[in-house]
Amino acid sequence: MAGLVKNVRLLCRSTSYLRYYSTRPASILLRKCTKTEQGIFSNDRLVTATQRLVLPHERSYSSKPPLSLKIIAERVLLVLKLYDKVNPDKLSLESHFINDLGLDSLDHVEVIMAIEDEFGFEIPDADAEKLLRPADIVRYVADKEDIYD
Amino acid sequence: MANLPTGLISHTRKVQSLYKKALRSLENWYDRREVYRYYAVLMRKRFDDNACITDMRVAKELISKGEQELRSTAHWHPRKFPDSPGGVAYGREVPLPDWVLDYWHPLEKAQYPEYFARREQRKKEFVKLWEKQYGPSSGTPH
Repeated sequence: MAGLVKNVRLLCRSTSYLRYYSTRPASILLRKCTKTEQGIFSNDRLVTATQRLVLPHERSYSSKPPLSLKIIAERVLLVLKLYDKVNPDKLSLESHFINDLGLDSLDHVEVIMAIEDEFGFEIPDADAEKLLRPADIVRYVADKEDIYD
Repeated sequence: MANLPTGLISHTRKVQSLYKKALRSLENWYDRREVYRYYAVLMRKRFDDNACITDMRVAKELISKGEQELRSTAHWHPRKFPDSPGGVAYGREVPLPDWVLDYWHPLEKAQYPEYFARREQRKKEFVKLWEKQYGPSSGTPH
C-alpha cells in the first residue's frame, strides 16, 4: 500500500512539470479546463493526487477527437463566441456574419482562419466566400470530414 | 485545383485573399501567439487605412504592391496543414473511389447480399434522377 502511495506521489511530482504548450483546438482545452476546477492558468503544483487520479490524461494517439454534427456545431459556435467582434447574445447557427453580426469582409477572413485552425484543414477562398453563416460552416466541415449524423 | 483562376475574381476577394496570405505569412514568422497577434493587429491597421479608397487604379496599385511585399517577405519553410499539399500527412489515406465496389468478384459480392441489392436499387434511382434532370440519353449504352 505504501509503495502504491509512493508511486502515485512520484507520478504527481513528475507530471506537475508538464505545462500546457498544447496546440490543440480551443474546445478541447476548454473541456479540460472545466473538468479541472482550477483551470489551466492556476499553479499546476496545486493539483492534488486525488484530482490526478480522477482526471486521467486523454491520449488521442494522433487520431482526431470524435465528431458529430452536434459537436461540430458546438465547436464552431465556441470559436465564434471567443472572437471579440462577435456579440455572443446575437449569435446563433442561422445568423448571417455580415448582415446580422455586422462583420466586414476582413473579419470574415479572420473567422474562416479561426475555423481552419480549429478543425485543422485548409478552406480555399472559393469555398470560404460561400460560408456566410455558422450553419454553412458546420455543413462544410461535416462534408469534409464525411459526417452525416 | 481550387486555387486555379476560373473566372473573374472581385476586388474584395483579392483583398481578402491577400489579407489571409499576409496573416499566414506572419504566423510563419512569429510562432509565439501573442507576438503574432501584435503584428496581425498592425497588419489589420494597414488594411483598414486603405479600406475607403474608391479609386480603382490606386486600389489595384496597392494590391500589386502588397503582393510584391508578400513575395519578398515569404517564409523559407511555411507552415502547412497536415492534409494540405506539402503537409506531413498529405495523401496518407487514399479514399477508394466508389466504382471499385462494382469490380468485386461475384463471390465476394455474394457475401454482402443486402448491401449490393440496395446498391443496384440506388443505381437505378440515380439513372432515373439523371434522366429527369437532363433528359434521356441519346447514345448507345456501353
